[in-house]
Amino acid sequence: MNLAVQIDDLSYTHPGAELRALEHVSLTAAAGESIALLGPSGAGKTTLMTLLDGRLRGWRGRAYVLGAPLDPDHPPPRARRPDTGFVFQEFALVEPSSVLRNVLNGRLGRMSRFRAAFWTPAFRDFELARSALADCGIADLAARRVDSLSGGQRQRVAIARCLAQEPRLILADEPVSNLDPARATEILTLLTGAARARGATVIFSSHQPDLARRFADRIVGMRDGKIVFDVAVDDLSEAATAELYRETVIPPGSGLRAVS
Amino acid sequence: MRSRGLGSFAVGAFISGAILWSLLTTEVELSRLLSAGPRIADFLGRMVPPDPTVMNEIMKGSAETLRIAILGSLGAIFFSVPLGMLASETMVSPALFRPVRTLLALIRAVPLILVAMLMVGAVGLGPLPGIIAVAIHATGMLAKFYAEAIDSVSRAPIAALESAGAGPLARLRHAIWPQMAPVIARDTIFRFELNLRESLILGIVGAGGIGFYIQTYVRSFQYDKAASVTLAVIAMVITIEAINVALRRRFA
Repeated sequence: MNLAVQIDDLSYTHPGAELRALEHVSLTAAAGESIALLGPSGAGKTTLMTLLDGRLRGWRGRAYVLGAPLDPDHPPPRARRPDTGFVFQEFALVEPSSVLRNVLNGRLGRMSRFRAAFWTPAFRDFELARSALADCGIADLAARRVDSLSGGQRQRVAIARCLAQEPRLILADEPVSNLDPARATEILTLLTGAARARGATVIFSSHQPDLARRFADRIVGMRDGKIVFDVAVDDLSEAATAELYRETVIPPGSGLRAVS
Repeated sequence: MRSRGLGSFAVGAFISGAILWSLLTTEVELSRLLSAGPRIADFLGRMVPPDPTVMNEIMKGSAETLRIAILGSLGAIFFSVPLGMLASETMVSPALFRPVRTLLALIRAVPLILVAMLMVGAVGLGPLPGIIAVAIHATGMLAKFYAEAIDSVSRAPIAALESAGAGPLARLRHAIWPQMAPVIARDTIFRFELNLRESLILGIVGAGGIGFYIQTYVRSFQYDKAASVTLAVIAMVITIEAINVALRRRFA
């Protein structure tokens, strides 16, 4: 089987933190699969995706992304970085720049270092940026400044930037948590559809079970840095979801106090 | 309530005390105060009509003031880039940015005219002490602005470009600079406007520019000529203001 992600026994503690953000996490993702990471805030979803994107240092375990090993001590080589695309929760766009420039920024890893630093995108870079804009339904916004756009429009720009990068693995961190339900459905349709059209693997995190069920093939439940279930979408039980979001119950009079 | 009443009484007493002290210890003779009105009117009367023959001096003085402001601003930018980085919370450690910020606050606290007097003493008369004074004085504000521009850059887009495979130079060029450039441009133009306004009077202490002529004409009782130069200064200030408003509209 052709695996996009293969991780085994990953553990990580944020610098200065006491609790582990990831604890003995193992996961595989087949090429072309769509996986939802489901779980409450602080479950370790962002940490896991940041690690897969090669932006985390000092973890333990083994991780292969798109067939190449990740190094816990060094960032991945530049040539491999664009293969993994990341859609950030807060969009992470350059606000005063135009939509087109932001999408072209997704091409920076595919250009030579000289082209990237001195801003001379090739015809092909423009072509890919334009088609990513069209796929995201925002071709008419190309010349607008990002700081004049709505939240839904910004998320489309962020996805267009990711698509322009031509990734084979797309990691999307809470891509719809800032959007209303109608907008959220639109964005996830767009993201998973564009990934399927390109044969790319998608891993997106969410804390909304209904959206996860609708847009993923597989659902991975996370809580307190651990994977608590990993099931095909049809096998997801209400009980498992309820257990995932259960409040930590502290017996009265035990002398313990809840810590958020 | 009681303590607040006592507090406002203390403030009142302090202010009345300060006013009484000023009135009683400044030796203002009542007769001079009463005749001041007519004298000021007489003085203003001697300023009209303004003498238009000083056009040459006005042009020469304005050009020199403009040169002082341009070169002084250039010097301030030159010092503010490194000092702005050293005063930035996000680029250097508190052990470095705190003393640098204190130094900048001290520089800002010294009025330009005082810096100019010191520089005239150090390097002699002419535009050079004016340029140095403007460069030093403006750095106190501009370096602080630059530090704030650096600190206001949001980190998320930098991480996004790193994730896309952009190198450090490309991240600086495409994620950091576009966020800073509008702020830097706006602040630099603002400081240049202040430099131009403030250097109009530098000539009074011998540091070059149009202020020299005002001082010369007042000292030699040629009030009509002084009036022409003063009108020119007012016209320049209004022009600077108008240009700045137009520029701000262009960059905002």
